[in-house]
Amino acid sequence: MTTSDNRRPLPGPAAFTIAVLLGTGVTFALDMALLWWAALIIGVTAAFAFVAVTHNRVPPERRVAAAGTEERGTALHNTLVVPTALVLSVVAGLLSAWLLDLSLIEPVAAVVGAVVGSALTFLLFHRLSALLALSFAAVFAAGLIAIAVTALVLLFSGIDPMSTFGRMLEYGTRPDSMVQIINDSTTYYLAAVAVAIGFKMKLFNIGVDGQYRLAALLSAAVGGYLILPPPFSQLVMIVVAVAVGGAWAGIAGYLKVARGVSEVISTIMLNAIATGITAYLLSTDRLAVQISTNNIGTPPLPESSWVPGIPALFLGSDREIFGLVFLAVAVGVGYSVMLNRTRFGFELRATGQSQSAAEASGINVKKMVFLSMLFSGMVAGLVGLPQLLGSAHYYALDFPTGIGFIGIAIALLGRNHPVGIVFASLFWSFLTQAANILPFDNIPQEIAVIAQATIVLTVVVVYEVVHRWGRRYQQQQIGKQLGATTVTAEPVGAAPTSGGAGETGPKTDGERGGEAQ
Amino acid sequence: MSSTSSGGGSSQTPAVELHGITKRFPGVVANHDIDITVAPGTVHAIVGENGAGKSTLMKTLYGMHRPDEGTIHVKGQEVRFHSPSDAIRHGIGMVHQHFMLADNLTVLENVVLGAERRHGIGRRARAEIQRLSAQYGLGVDPDRLMEDLGVGDRQRVEILKVLYRGAETIILDEPTAVLVPQEVDELFDNLRELKREGLTVIFISHKLDEVLSVADDITVIRRGTTVATADPGTTTARELATLMVGGELPVPELRESTVTDHVVLSLDGITVRSPEGRPVVDEVSVDIHRGEIVGIAGVEGNGQSELIEAIMGMRHLASGRILLEGQDITGWSTLRIREAGVGYIPEDRHRHGVLLESPLWENRILGHQTKAPSVRGPWINRVGARADSERIVAEYDVRTPNIDVIADALSGGNQQKFIIGREMSGQPRFLVAAHPTRGVDVGAQSAIWEQLREARAAGLAVLLISADLDELIGMSDTIHVILRGRLVAEADPTTVTPEQLGSAMTGAGLRAGGGSTESDSGAEGTDRADEDGGES
Repeated sequence: MTTSDNRRPLPGPAAFTIAVLLGTGVTFALDMALLWWAALIIGVTAAFAFVAVTHNRVPPERRVAAAGTEERGTALHNTLVVPTALVLSVVAGLLSAWLLDLSLIEPVAAVVGAVVGSALTFLLFHRLSALLALSFAAVFAAGLIAIAVTALVLLFSGIDPMSTFGRMLEYGTRPDSMVQIINDSTTYYLAAVAVAIGFKMKLFNIGVDGQYRLAALLSAAVGGYLILPPPFSQLVMIVVAVAVGGAWAGIAGYLKVARGVSEVISTIMLNAIATGITAYLLSTDRLAVQISTNNIGTPPLPESSWVPGIPALFLGSDREIFGLVFLAVAVGVGYSVMLNRTRFGFELRATGQSQSAAEASGINVKKMVFLSMLFSGMVAGLVGLPQLLGSAHYYALDFPTGIGFIGIAIALLGRNHPVGIVFASLFWSFLTQAANILPFDNIPQEIAVIAQATIVLTVVVVYEVVHRWGRRYQQQQIGKQLGATTVTAEPVGAAPTSGGAGETGPKTDGERGGEAQ
Repeated sequence: MSSTSSGGGSSQTPAVELHGITKRFPGVVANHDIDITVAPGTVHAIVGENGAGKSTLMKTLYGMHRPDEGTIHVKGQEVRFHSPSDAIRHGIGMVHQHFMLADNLTVLENVVLGAERRHGIGRRARAEIQRLSAQYGLGVDPDRLMEDLGVGDRQRVEILKVLYRGAETIILDEPTAVLVPQEVDELFDNLRELKREGLTVIFISHKLDEVLSVADDITVIRRGTTVATADPGTTTARELATLMVGGELPVPELRESTVTDHVVLSLDGITVRSPEGRPVVDEVSVDIHRGEIVGIAGVEGNGQSELIEAIMGMRHLASGRILLEGQDITGWSTLRIREAGVGYIPEDRHRHGVLLESPLWENRILGHQTKAPSVRGPWINRVGARADSERIVAEYDVRTPNIDVIADALSGGNQQKFIIGREMSGQPRFLVAAHPTRGVDVGAQSAIWEQLREARAAGLAVLLISADLDELIGMSDTIHVILRGRLVAEADPTTVTPEQLGSAMTGAGLRAGGGSTESDSGAEGTDRADEDGGES
C-alpha cells in the first residue's frame, strides 16, 4: 500500500481506501511489537497524516451543517477542525477496538478498531464542519471543566482524585457494570426524549416524573390483573402506559392552551397529584397485593407477560440487557424522523423557533402546544416499562422515582438531539454506576452527583457561548464570500448624499440599475 | 456626573455634536456621514421615515452600540461610550418608545431601580423625586403604583427616571406614538418646561406637525444620512415631507394599466377592534381587481397592520366580510386562506416571515407546509423543497452561497427577495405586500419592484402597504389613504403628489388635483367614541 501517488488529483474514494488500508496495515504490523492500543493510535495517526498531506488533491466534499461555505484552509479549520478530527477518530478507534476486544480475540479487535478509526480520519477531515467541530470541542471543554471541579472537591475532602477516577473507570467498565449502564440509559433515554420533545417547542415538561410513575403503576396493574397471551399482554401494557402518560401531560397542555396556565407550574402540580394518586392506589385495599413482608405492589406479571432480556455474553457478562432497549431505539428513530422528515416536526420546530412566524404561516400554534405536550407525555409513559417488563415485573413501593428529573438534565446535556441524548444518557448512567464502588473505599458516592451537575451546567453554558460565536463566525464567512454585495451596499447608500437635498430624480435610475448588477 | 461645570459657557459649546457617524450592520449601512449639532437648552427634532436610521443613530448616541466611524462630542469634549451607563455618566439619558417600567412597583421604586446609589431608596430619594417633579412640572407622585398610571403619566415617570440619573440631554424616541392628542399637548408643555430649566431635548419623530410645534431645530434624516437642517419658523410640513421622502428617489412607473374588471379580493365593511374594544380598522371596504395594485397610504399605526392581519386570518373581524373571488373567506384560518392562493409578504420579516436559524430551504416550506413541492402528504419533501429553493434563488437573484445557509446569515434585502420568491410560487391569486422594500438596499429594491410589476402583468391582485410615498405612487393603480382605521380618501397615482398624500395622511384631506374624497370625509375620523363602530 504505497502512497507514491503524485501531483495528480486524487479521487475521494481512492484516498479513502488508501487511508483505511494504511491505518489498518500499520496497526496490524505494530501490534506484533507493541501493546494493541499503542499500535492503534500510531496506525490511525498515520492514516490521518496521509489524509492531511493529500487533502489538497482531493476534491472538496460537502460538509455537514457547514452551510456550504468553503472552510478548508481557514484559520478556524486548521486550529480547530483538524485537531478535533484527529482526536475523534483516535478515540472512536480505541473505543470500538476495546468493545470488540470483549468478545473477539485481541489482534482482530485491534485491526477492526483501526479500520473504524482510519475511515473516520478521512470522513472527519473532509466532512466535519467548523460548527460541528465547535460543538464537540465545547463538550470536551465542558467535560474537562467538570472533571477539574470534581477533582478539586475531592482534593479539599482529602481524597486523591486520580486514584478515585481510576477506581471509577475500572469499576464502570466491568462487564456487569456495562450491562447495568445500558439498562439504566434505556430508561433515561426515554425520559430525555420526552423532555426534548417539549424543549423543541420551548415547553418545559417538568412533569415527566409524575407521568411515567402513574403510567407504570396503571400499566403494571393492567398487566397483573388482566392475563392475556404473550404478544397481547405486552402490547396492551405499552398502550396503557402511553395513554396514561399522554393523558396526564395532556391536562397540562389543555390548561396551557385553554387557560394560559404555565406548563411549568401545572406539571409540577401534576407531579404532586400523581404522587398522591399512586400512594392512594398502591394499597392492599385497591390495586396492590402483599409482595413480601414489608413491600406491597401490583400483582407480579406472569412470565408470559415479560419481555425477555438479551444475554450480554458479547460483553462478557451473564446478565441480561432489557429487551425493551429496542423500544428506546424505535422511539429515538421515531423522534428523529418526526422532527426532521414530517410536516408535524417542521411545524413543531418552526413554532419553537418563532411563534409569530409560525402563526403568520398558518400554523395553529395552540394545537401544536397541545400536541407536543401530549406526545411528550406519551413518550414519558414508556419510561417505566423497560424496568417493569424487563426486571421488576410489578410496580411496588421501591419502583425507581426521579427519572423524569434526570431526563431533563440528559436532554440538556444531549442538546435535544436524538443521537446526542444517546451519549448523554450512557455517560450519565456510567457516572452513576461507576460511583457505586466508591463507598467500599470510604469515598462519598455523591461525588458522581457533583460531577453530573457540574457537567450539565458547563455544557449548557459553554455550548451556548460556542454556538453563538460559531454562528457569528459563519455569518462573517458568508459575508466574506459574498464580499461583492457588502461592498456595493456602501456606494448605494452613499448615492443619495451626493444627490443632496431636493435634486430631481430620474438620473439616479441609471446608476441604480448598474449597482443592482 | 460630568466633570465639566454645570452652566459654564453653555451658549457656545453645543450640548451634543455628532460628526461623520457611520454604522454598518452585515449587508447594510444603517447610518453614514451623520452630522448633527444640538445647541444646549433647545428641543432638537430628528425626523425621518421609518427605517431611515433614526433609532440606530440614537442607539449610537446612547452607547448601545459603537459607531464604525465618526466622533461624538458632549459639551465640547470627545467621548466614547461603551454602554448606556457611560452615556448617563456624561449626562445623556434616553426615554424609549416602549416604556421600561415594572407595573407592580411604585413610582419611587421604579425610579430608583438601578440608581440606588444616588440618593438611596428611602426618604432622600422620595424628596429628590418630589423636588424634580416640582421643578420640571411633571406632577409625579412617588408613592403611586405604576399599574394605576395612564400612558402619559408613565411617560413622565420615564422622563423623571432619566432626570433622576442626572441627565442634561434627554433623548425621546417617538414619544408621541403612544399618546392621544391631549397627552401630546401635555408632553409638549413638559418639554418646554425642561427647556426653560436649561436642559436639552432630542426629539425623534416622523409626525411633522408635532415636530413643527415643539422643536427649535430640525434635522432631517433619509436613507441613513442627514440630508438637511431646517428652522421650524420658516419651514412648512410639506417641505419637510419632501425632504424626508426625498423627491429625487425615482420609482419606476407602472407602464400600462393591466387592471381588469374581475374582482379578486373584496373587503366589505370590515371592522377590527382592539382588545379594549376600540375599532382599529373601521368599516373598510375595498375591491382589488385582477392585475391591479391597490396601495394604502397612512402614517404608521393607523390600522394598516390590523387590516393585513385581518385579511390573513390572524385577527378576528368584529364585522364585515372578506370575499376571495366571490367566496366568503371570513373567519377562515390563516392556513386555509394561504392554501386558497393568498401570498403574504409580512411587514416585519424577522418576526413573521422567516425562521432566522433555519436554512433557506426550510424557510421555503414555511407558510407553504401543506403544498407541493414542499411536502408529500405528512412528509417533508426535501428534494422538492430544495429544488424549488434553488429555483427561487436563481430567479429572484438571492445572493447566497447556497440554500443550506441559515436565513440569518443573509442581508435583509436578500431575505426579502427570498420571501417574495416564496410567496409568488404556486401562482397566488392575491398578494398582501406590506412594506416590501423596507430595510432593503437600493439594488434589491428595484428588483423587488420589477417582480411585483411582472406579477401584476400576469394577473396578480396586490394590496400594497408602504410608508414610502414614492413607492406607493409609482407602483399603485389606486391609492387609498388610511387614517385612524378608516379609508378617508382615494387618490389617482398618476396625478397625486407626495405632498398631497402626506397632508391627506395627517387628516387635512387631499387638496385640489388629487382624487375624489370618499364617502366619509377625512377629518370626521378624528373623534370616534366607542359607540361609533357599535352599529354593526
